[in-house]
Amino acid sequence: MKHNALRSFFICGLILIGMALFPLFTNNFIIRFGTDILMFAIMASAWNIIGGYTGYASFGNVVFFGIGAYTTAVLMEKAGFGFALAYASSGLLAAVFAILVGLPVLRLRGHYFAIATLGVAEAMKALVQNLEITEGNSGIYLPMLDMSVRGQYYFFFYMMLATLVACLLTTYILLNAKFGYSLIAIREDEDAANSVGINTTYAKTMAFSLSALFTGFAGSIYAYQQAFIKPEPAFTVHTTVKMIVMAVFGGMGKLFGPLLGAFSIEVISEILSDHFLVAHALFFGTIVILAIVFTPKGIMDIITERKLNVSYFLENIRKHRV
Amino acid sequence: MLLGIKELDAGYGDVQVLWGLNLKVEEKQIVALVGSNGAGKSTLLKVISGLMRPYRGQILFRGEDITRTPPKEIVRKGIVHVPEGRRLFPQMTVEENLVMGAFRRRKDKDIRPELARVYELFPRLKERRLQKAGSLSGGEQQMCAIARGLMSDPRLLIIDEMSLGLAPVIVDDLVEILKEINSRGTAILLVEQDVQLALSNSHYGYVVATGRLVMEGPSEELLQSKEIKEAYLGM
Repeated sequence: MKHNALRSFFICGLILIGMALFPLFTNNFIIRFGTDILMFAIMASAWNIIGGYTGYASFGNVVFFGIGAYTTAVLMEKAGFGFALAYASSGLLAAVFAILVGLPVLRLRGHYFAIATLGVAEAMKALVQNLEITEGNSGIYLPMLDMSVRGQYYFFFYMMLATLVACLLTTYILLNAKFGYSLIAIREDEDAANSVGINTTYAKTMAFSLSALFTGFAGSIYAYQQAFIKPEPAFTVHTTVKMIVMAVFGGMGKLFGPLLGAFSIEVISEILSDHFLVAHALFFGTIVILAIVFTPKGIMDIITERKLNVSYFLENIRKHRV
Repeated sequence: MLLGIKELDAGYGDVQVLWGLNLKVEEKQIVALVGSNGAGKSTLLKVISGLMRPYRGQILFRGEDITRTPPKEIVRKGIVHVPEGRRLFPQMTVEENLVMGAFRRRKDKDIRPELARVYELFPRLKERRLQKAGSLSGGEQQMCAIARGLMSDPRLLIIDEMSLGLAPVIVDDLVEILKEINSRGTAILLVEQDVQLALSNSHYGYVVATGRLVMEGPSEELLQSKEIKEAYLGM
């Protein structure tokens, strides 16, 4: 047991060092691609806290991304804040918003919760499109980062990496604490969780808020990187769908599942759009369907169970037959 | 008096289910609450464990009014509800389920004595402690649900439809274990559709029908009464 934990720790450390050193040996395009993967890895991992561990499939997590992006834009452009302060405020504001929205919305379960969160994200988009402070549909510019081009690529890459590490570390610590068990208990059976005396309202709301915190951080870095944001890409439902697909593809309710999902989905869709410019969405959809049919627990399951053979796939198909 | 319910009216929106219900559980007693489908038994349990607010009436536990106390506080005060249909956490192991039962415990408190005590009552669970709860048989799941309830060392254990869907042999085993739990000082409120089973293994009984209390008395007397025999036992 102890030996195992030490080995996992060692592997994680190696991967982390690998990720930290890799930009030094490659070109700007690849660094930028890596930054995108990290951004989605943060969002998918953050979604995993509420969707994977707590079992509340949020279809509106992009709202936290948008809030993070717009908070950074407004604070830096209109209030003259530095990035550090804007970054911290973005995550916190998203987290507070999640508590306020979560208290009523988390009373709903299943599809009702999914639809309500979708509605919250759409409503927030409409609000941002019509407010003066966000400059409506015309979008808002941010001050540029005063650095060499190469320096900028490094800066955004390492910001995303640091945020991802913070997100995974927080998730890991919480999971091994009492709080993590209460989340899993809620996913397994919320009424039973209530009957053993778990404060389910508190646990769910905190999980939602944590998910929002890290998604808000990602939004903040994204806005600074883009230097110009508009309501449509910042609040688009595609982003939520992407987070969910990545988390499911990699392995929901597993610590490194969403990271693996983000990496594979981004790489696959990059290769596909390189080779099939027009039809890549079609191929992409096919791959997602195949993954769900053959490995419904995500590709993380193949790695941890060390089963990559026909009988594993057949068993999955049999077990999850409609 | 451990638990006292006075003039309780409760329901869902405009649909009133319970009408002026009175009920008492004394310390160290096994009390049976029987009645057929739709009599309002589950509604009463939801009200007691704080999952639902009543329209009117009062619930006293050890002299304290708990009518508006939230569920987590009620567990801490010593009432544990073993819900109908077991409601285990299927992907957690047996032992993890048991540990969850002690969730309301203070952090620094060692739960190993409780775990040992529960395993002593249910040796089957000890054998299967590392197995996922979802893979247990029906009877073992019920054992696990009761054991999980015992982990917080309750004063009053409420068991909803324990016998549902279980083989008679297993039900007999469970009843023996309940008597053992009771002899160690925990009061039990047994909520059952199986009138014969509940009344022959309890001290006192209440019969509800369409949300009203229709009979009460020492269980032996109820078992002998003509009305019960005709209405519930088919004799």
